[in-house]
Amino acid sequence: MNGWTATATAVLALGGGATVWGVATGPLGRRVVAQNLSTSLACPVLLLLAQGYGRPSYVDLALVLALLGPVGTLVFARLLAEDLEGDPPGARAATYAVAVFGATVVIVLCAVAGPGRAMVKLLVTGALLVAGNLVASRALAGGFSGSRHG
Amino acid sequence: MTPCTALRGALEVVAWWAVLFLLWLVLIGTVDTLELVVGAAAALVCAVAARGARRAVGGR
Repeated sequence: MNGWTATATAVLALGGGATVWGVATGPLGRRVVAQNLSTSLACPVLLLLAQGYGRPSYVDLALVLALLGPVGTLVFARLLAEDLEGDPPGARAATYAVAVFGATVVIVLCAVAGPGRAMVKLLVTGALLVAGNLVASRALAGGFSGSRHG
Repeated sequence: MTPCTALRGALEVVAWWAVLFLLWLVLIGTVDTLELVVGAAAALVCAVAARGARRAVGGR
């Protein structure tokens, strides 16, 4: 047990619990937003765990999740577009909070890693995480509803 | 296809290839010859696919 794994455990317990609660209860919009935030939250947790256990190759898990999480949300946004049209779910505060948390984790880990290929990999993961989070949230809020090609 | 558009397409594939190859170099564990060869080949395939995807999305 060290600071990294303790932080990861705390975030996983609080944030993971909150998102599971959000997914399991309430209206459709709230559930789909909570689902989106759960992947955005799990990615920095995986980064923290990789650092905590001293296994740099575990960063790959976070990278894959940062890539596939928003893709999954986009599929939900597309399939549920008609149901979400009347009341598009906007969770701006939660989205930005998770994005800032992810960016903070990546910056701290970069400072620890120092310059090198590992740092670039972390930055790529962080960019995918934050950008994917923002794009997926915007898609859920109906931000791209005017650009449907079919 | 005119020579101009062919040249532009080739340049685009080369640009995609460079970006993807750099990404590969960052993401692999140890850099050795086999990794470089595999990465260069995979990046070329993905560069062609990326150009096709961009054209499909752009509607051109």
